[in-house]
Amino acid sequence: MTKTQMLLGAAGLAMIAGGAMADTSGKRIALSNNYAGNSWRQAMLQTFEEVGAQAVEAGVVGAADAYTTSENQATEQAAQLQNMILQGYDAIILNAASPTALNGAVEEACNAGVTVVSFDGIVTAPCAWRIAVDFKAMGKEQVEYLATRLPEGGNLLEIRGLAGVFVDDEIHAGIEEGVAENSQFEIVGSVHGDWAQDVAQKAVAGVLPSLPDVVGVVTQGGDGYGAAQAFKAAGRDTPLIVLGNRQDEMQWWADQRDANGYETLSLSIAPGVASLAFWVAQQILDGAEVPKDLTVPFLKVTQDTLDEALETTPEGSVANTVYSLDDAKAVISGAM
Amino acid sequence: MKLIQKPWLWSWVAAAAAFALTVALTEGRGAGELAYAALSFGAFAAIVGLGQMLVITLGPGNVDLSIPATMTLSGTLALKAMGSDPGTAWMGLGVAILVGLGTGLANFALIYLLRLPPIIATLAASLLYQSLAIWSNRGLRIKPPAGLADFATGRTMGIPNVALVGLGLSLLIWVLLERSVWGRWLLASGQNLRAARLAGVPVEAVRAATYVAVTVFAAIAGYLLASFSGGAALNMGAEYLLMSIAVVVIGGTSIAGGMSNVPGVWGASLFMFLVVSMLNSYGAGAGVRMVLTGLIIIGIVIAASTRRVAR
Repeated sequence: MTKTQMLLGAAGLAMIAGGAMADTSGKRIALSNNYAGNSWRQAMLQTFEEVGAQAVEAGVVGAADAYTTSENQATEQAAQLQNMILQGYDAIILNAASPTALNGAVEEACNAGVTVVSFDGIVTAPCAWRIAVDFKAMGKEQVEYLATRLPEGGNLLEIRGLAGVFVDDEIHAGIEEGVAENSQFEIVGSVHGDWAQDVAQKAVAGVLPSLPDVVGVVTQGGDGYGAAQAFKAAGRDTPLIVLGNRQDEMQWWADQRDANGYETLSLSIAPGVASLAFWVAQQILDGAEVPKDLTVPFLKVTQDTLDEALETTPEGSVANTVYSLDDAKAVISGAM
Repeated sequence: MKLIQKPWLWSWVAAAAAFALTVALTEGRGAGELAYAALSFGAFAAIVGLGQMLVITLGPGNVDLSIPATMTLSGTLALKAMGSDPGTAWMGLGVAILVGLGTGLANFALIYLLRLPPIIATLAASLLYQSLAIWSNRGLRIKPPAGLADFATGRTMGIPNVALVGLGLSLLIWVLLERSVWGRWLLASGQNLRAARLAGVPVEAVRAATYVAVTVFAAIAGYLLASFSGGAALNMGAEYLLMSIAVVVIGGTSIAGGMSNVPGVWGASLFMFLVVSMLNSYGAGAGVRMVLTGLIIIGIVIAASTRRVAR
């Protein structure tokens, strides 16, 4: 039997087995991740590994492998993408170090017939799919929430993320928009907390002595607990701090609620978005029609859902949602 | 030597100026609060800076880039070992110091046995330590025991406890450098390695001890920082890489080696915290803040080094 005959035979079998859809059981999906050094990324990797392993076991895909670069550099990740093309992956899901610097490598992948789905840290290359969170809305919603709780307004402290990163600019723009619409609020101080509790704590402690009374703190996630610690150390009343779904933040919230009825809101992007990207990639390989730009809702924890969220979040981790194939289909049809 | 010729003077002048400018904004309100915060956060930079200072004193090419990873690993392992149980604080400190000894010995083994340049050896080893920290706990934050957390965030006679620990360690280093044979050996090795070896100084032993000292200091700083901020995080050491080198240079220690300066490290550590607070208080954006911080650092280094040339 010649090679051509074998291929024809295999194609015939696949057509019988797969029905109208293409079969993805032999397809291999890789995760290209640029950073692993915080609890959010660890939860993301874990979710991907679990969902991937289940999918491989169920025969939905052939392989689901995760790769992380060590130095969070775009050049390093571009080389990683090129390796994945050479290794013959059918799809790459990508949390990118830069929205633009990886476009060259992404184009190469597309030209080699590889499906590229970017999420969280998205890329702008037109051939790739994007699963993004509306970070701007996330910033705006914080101010709108504060407006419902503090109708008389007051001074706000803003804790920003890592300077120069797309996500930081977007959330900040959303907060500015919210403050412009709710003129009873004024941002009297702004510091960079780098999405880390200890950095936020240090920055807030440094700026607090020069600030007037602060009624609310708008944040970007991973910095609320540090801010609370700094307010406590300075002997000030705890303002209304919007949190970012970290377990230590939510635990602190629950403790405060039990002690003095503290109320707030917590919102962030769920690390499980990696599982959504995985299923979207699977759907594209399956031949489904998928729009290039998809939006994933952010995960909100409210006073009512706090206990539930705390119960399901491992100690020291981040509140999470694992997306199923049906969730992915719903997101796709919602964007059509 | 006159006061103005002291190389540590400039970092203290800069710290005092930043403090005065911040307090001027609030018309004196919050001065105590700011000083307290500066001492608390400056202590961590000072502890890692002291270690880095010893390594830099060894001469050109000597630097330890594994400080952030060592801090993360020691904080992670110590807090995991303590598991929030009361009465385990000393055991946790022991774990942290063991981590410091281990990483220091590993670094020196790479430098001595494989003859790798210290920059490469410590950077490569730090990837290993960071991976170990990730692997051991997957980034989960474990709370420190309540007693230890209270100590790390508490104060004695109005001074933050972490600053007292930092001062104790500084005093130890100062005595070792100024009053012990080991200190003389270290300075001699830094000034001229070959001459020191010919003079009978056990230079390799001095280098080994120095590379172990820096990681033990980093490990202690990691342990304290994790207890201070309510748990170890995988990225907790990140900002201390450049910080540790900056406080040494601003503090007036010669980057060419052979000359240490303990008080300067403290002045520079306070300054590094105060300058960010000052620019934040005046509402400078991130870009302006980084440019100004860079310019001020260059200014201080020039001021400190021209003094030395003029001498």
